[in-house]
Amino acid sequence: MAAIKWPAAPTTYEDDVVLAFTIAAVLWSLIGMAAGVYAAAELVWPALNLDFAPLTFGRLRTVHTNAVLFGFAVSALMGTSFYTVQRTCHIRIFAPNLAWTVFFAWQLIVIAGAVSLFMGANAGKEYAELEWPIDIAITVVWVIYGVVFFGTIAIRRIEQIYISNWFFGAFILVVAMLHIVNSLAIPVSAFKSYSLYAGAQDAIVQWWYGHNAVGFLLTGGFLGMMYYFLPKQSERPIWSYRLSVLSFWAFAYSYIWAGPHHLHFSAIPEWVQTLAMVMSLILLAPSWATMINGIMTVSTARQKLREDPGLKLIVLSLAFYGLAMFEGPMMAIRSVNIISHFTEWTIGHVHSGALGWNALITFGCFYFMVPRLVGQPLWSVRLANIHFWLALAGVMLYVLSMWGAGITQGVLWLSLDELGQVRYGFNEILAALQPYYLLRLLGGSAFFVGAILMSINLFMTISGQRTVTVAPPTTSMRSPAPAAGTP
Amino acid sequence: MVLIRPQASFVALSEAHFSALHVFVRLALWLGMMPPLCAYVGMTKHGWQLGTVEPLMLPKVTIGVICALYFFALLFGFISAAIIGRWMAGTYGATRDLGAHFALLVVVGAPLVLGSLMHLYPDVFLNLLVLVPCLIWSMFLLYRGLPIVLQTTPEQGMLMASSMIGYLFVAFVSLLGISVCLWVYGIGPRLGV
Ligand code: HEM
Ligand code: HEM
Repeated sequence: MAAIKWPAAPTTYEDDVVLAFTIAAVLWSLIGMAAGVYAAAELVWPALNLDFAPLTFGRLRTVHTNAVLFGFAVSALMGTSFYTVQRTCHIRIFAPNLAWTVFFAWQLIVIAGAVSLFMGANAGKEYAELEWPIDIAITVVWVIYGVVFFGTIAIRRIEQIYISNWFFGAFILVVAMLHIVNSLAIPVSAFKSYSLYAGAQDAIVQWWYGHNAVGFLLTGGFLGMMYYFLPKQSERPIWSYRLSVLSFWAFAYSYIWAGPHHLHFSAIPEWVQTLAMVMSLILLAPSWATMINGIMTVSTARQKLREDPGLKLIVLSLAFYGLAMFEGPMMAIRSVNIISHFTEWTIGHVHSGALGWNALITFGCFYFMVPRLVGQPLWSVRLANIHFWLALAGVMLYVLSMWGAGITQGVLWLSLDELGQVRYGFNEILAALQPYYLLRLLGGSAFFVGAILMSINLFMTISGQRTVTVAPPTTSMRSPAPAAGTP
Repeated sequence: MVLIRPQASFVALSEAHFSALHVFVRLALWLGMMPPLCAYVGMTKHGWQLGTVEPLMLPKVTIGVICALYFFALLFGFISAAIIGRWMAGTYGATRDLGAHFALLVVVGAPLVLGSLMHLYPDVFLNLLVLVPCLIWSMFLLYRGLPIVLQTTPEQGMLMASSMIGYLFVAFVSLLGISVCLWVYGIGPRLGV
């Protein structure tokens, strides 16, 4: 890489945009979870939809998933990726104005998306429900995001590209590819379009998209976050850098094939299902290698744990990552999937990942990043510790109630009577799930309250402060130093 | 005593010395029998209730087999958790022997054993309702007790407790997966698969 030119005078990091993304992510998490809690309450008391179309479960559920995935998770990833890429490249972000464009445009997109979903516009593909005008806007903004991110890498002042940037880069590239291919559609009006694909092909393309969105956004992107903030927060180098690179490639290679495990026992060819099942099982190896790498990295960082409430959340998130990454391949086995498919078990799996892994690690990083951005200690460490316990109790309640509900549902659906007929009716089974829904509502609410406490805490930390100016180290280094003293 | 004043009993545990065999034969074995026994009584008397109208009545022999498997699964979970804990301990600067790990797990598991009394009436939902708070209580005991009993710093104890929870998640989910596979292959409730 001798061709890299080191720019002469490094300026300061652009951190205002990072803070803006962080605040947006916190707000979206509150909005998204409020929608989730309300949707969960509707499953207990259906009358809560008030006979008002935008509040019906079908619409609210999509608003929930869009707000948490695209509002919360993507904003958090954009913010942390900008924070990380500057500090691991020792350079101010490439084209800060473009970064701000991404910020405003992305928030507008998510708002427009939520409004259009409330109005009932829906492209009919899960996690890609937004209609074609918004899809085009997403593509444009995503390309700009890519330009800013990869532009920063191109002008970096450190030779090696740090592992976080590989994960963030894969997240940006793969999501662009997935989004463009899956959203190809023929518009018939401003708010209606039909997918270019039909039948089984449509299903395969959709779940190639859906699964890899989980893979490269909810897993890959967040691993980028983990690989920067975990070593940083614990002030320890990554346990095995080599393992992290190895598992990156193994992960990127095996994830891409696993999509059809969402389509077991459907009309797609059986060998495609089997392939997906095998690849899902293989995926266990890189996922767990990554988890072990993370756990071993913190294992000697005892001093930091005492001072840093965020680190606790990250450590816990690794346990849930391990759970979701073990449960997933198991559910991809056809004999398990026959029971779990279409049941609340899947919802439990989703949220052990989404709450236990994605939300907890993000919260942990925010507790670390925000005080540093504004140069102030966290407003209340005690409140953060209360948040830790609320979050843990909330996820556990959520996941366990959904396991119970899922097993009940799966077994009852398949139960036969003496004549070999289906034993229980749909209504009966739904009624049997009611209590579990109540329990889930409790768990979700506890988690939500924890998030509110965090918002107050971060808000009080930020309020009245400006971001501090941080300059990259002036000596350019030959290797990245995630644990060294860069702020 | 453990359930009322955990702190004091943890300190007592940390000072005492245990032989692994002793703890196992005197305590773990008996506590481990509680849940399967309750389940046996409950399932034979009331049937297995998934929240629908009629409970699922299984033949006594099947119930016996299920409860025996349950017992062995619990024992396996207990012993493997202790051994894994012993193995992990090296990383986290805890040097106590296997007996201390056994003792710790007995204490941590106590709320769950107590909660499993609910198996006497095997309604899946009611059991969940009782066992989930017990589980959160157990986790709390684990985070609190581990550093004291295993004599390590609270911070390393926190890390190790999280790792243990990771392992227990996996063990539990595997149990779920194995049970489901058994049902699909015809052992357990009659399913149309
Ligand atoms: C307070 C916390 C939350 C509550 C109460 C909640 C509640 C819900 C409910 C009721 C559903 C619909 C389930 C069904 O159709 O049966 C759902 C689906 C979903 N939620 Fe959440 N949620 C919460 C947080 C989150 C977060 C933070 C994320 C992501 C980071 C998330 C991601 C999802 C996804 C992806 C689905 C769709 C699952 C599927 O289609 O299989 N949720 N949630
Ligand atoms: C090795 C890793 C993983 C594998 C092999 C895997 C596998 C699976 C399987 C088999 C399903 C059920 C499909 C069905 O029956 O409909 C599923 C659903 C799902 N998983 Fe995972 N999973 C993994 C990790 C994760 C993680 C870390 C998350 C993060 C949040 C996640 C999020 C989801 C979501 C959102 C769904 C629901 C999709 C839907 O709407 O139906 N998964 N996964």
